[in-house]
Amino acid sequence: MAAASRAISLATVVEELLSEMAAAVRDGSAKLKFVFGSSAVQALDLVDRQSITLISSPSGRRVYQVLGSSGKTYTCLASCHYCSCPAFAFSVLRKSDSLLVRQASAPWGSRVSGEPPALLGRLRCKHLLAVYLSQVTSTCQQLSVSDKQLTDILLTEKTHEA
Amino acid sequence: MAETLRRVLSSGSAAGTGEGNTTEVGPPLLLLGGPGSGKTALLFASALEAAGEGRGPVLFLTRRPLQSLPRGTRAPLEPLRLQKIRFQYPPSTRELLRFLCSAHEARGPVPSLLLLDGLEEYLAEDPGTQEAAYLAALLLDTAAHFSQVGPGGGCGLIVALQTQEGDSGDALQLALLQRYFPAQCWLQPDALGPGEHCLRACLEPGGRGPRAEWWVAFRPDGEMTITPCPHQPSDPSSDKGSSSGGQP
Repeated sequence: MAAASRAISLATVVEELLSEMAAAVRDGSAKLKFVFGSSAVQALDLVDRQSITLISSPSGRRVYQVLGSSGKTYTCLASCHYCSCPAFAFSVLRKSDSLLVRQASAPWGSRVSGEPPALLGRLRCKHLLAVYLSQVTSTCQQLSVSDKQLTDILLTEKTHEA
Repeated sequence: MAETLRRVLSSGSAAGTGEGNTTEVGPPLLLLGGPGSGKTALLFASALEAAGEGRGPVLFLTRRPLQSLPRGTRAPLEPLRLQKIRFQYPPSTRELLRFLCSAHEARGPVPSLLLLDGLEEYLAEDPGTQEAAYLAALLLDTAAHFSQVGPGGGCGLIVALQTQEGDSGDALQLALLQRYFPAQCWLQPDALGPGEHCLRACLEPGGRGPRAEWWVAFRPDGEMTITPCPHQPSDPSSDKGSSSGGQP
């Protein structure tokens, strides 16, 4: 029941946000970096480079892997906000991290201005951003593995240290 | 699974399953309270409630077997219902993670409710925030997977976390967990409620439906009774005065 699992994230807001980003990119707009920050540009770069892979197994369970710019692979969960990268750990550590979107001057801002900082702050992670972008634009590699292999991928997720 | 817990807590109101959306699971819920505040009893009541709904089995994860089955829940302790509750006792965080990561490998009917009691014990082993985030995220991911591949209605998730009074060290961890769990239910002692050992359960359903409060009272023999609080926070006409036995 996709609706139930997506209800746990700000799926609607994220989709709107990312559709706007995608539109800004198409426009060649300089607003993108200003409004969404450098993570967005890096995320788009990751998408361009086909760095995102959706891994699934016969069970239907799925997970994302993103090949970072450093050559390291990070694992992102498909159903909620989690990435094994240090930037995510850092943003999650902070109780009141600043917004991904600069509220005050977002030109089309009212839709995003009311959101709690903590939730949007999670999107500081460029890998997660890249995953969401690839979902919205339907551009990611697909990989099928066995159920056991998927378990191993999920289990080794937490070993990426800073 | 805010809706299941709400149904359990609403036992004082009209019985039966007349609601049109009884199968809606609602968002993942964090059940919070100090030691002895009734979290396990409420988890178990939710398990019985879900087991009676005729959907998949209920997975109850806890470190140690329950010493005794909590009593006084609305749903009867029928053997058929109890059979549908599968207890698992992961002895360590690592085992819990392994269980969650391999949940998709299991064969058989897909669970309709995933419960975890004593999250604080598992977190204590690995107090880092990344570990806590990972565990929370995996719990959500596992429930999401069950929702995806299950027959319909989705799989709920309720996790109980023991909180300590005035322990600011865990505040960061709690804030982190609250980000992952949109719905929360707080259990706090309430001297105004009926009975000697009474707690107030405040359910914040995470955007779906109003916030609501109940009194959960435990008798010395362990029997649990639940009554709605007379003053609901969302009721604009509620009297701010002290309660005067508004039990049904």
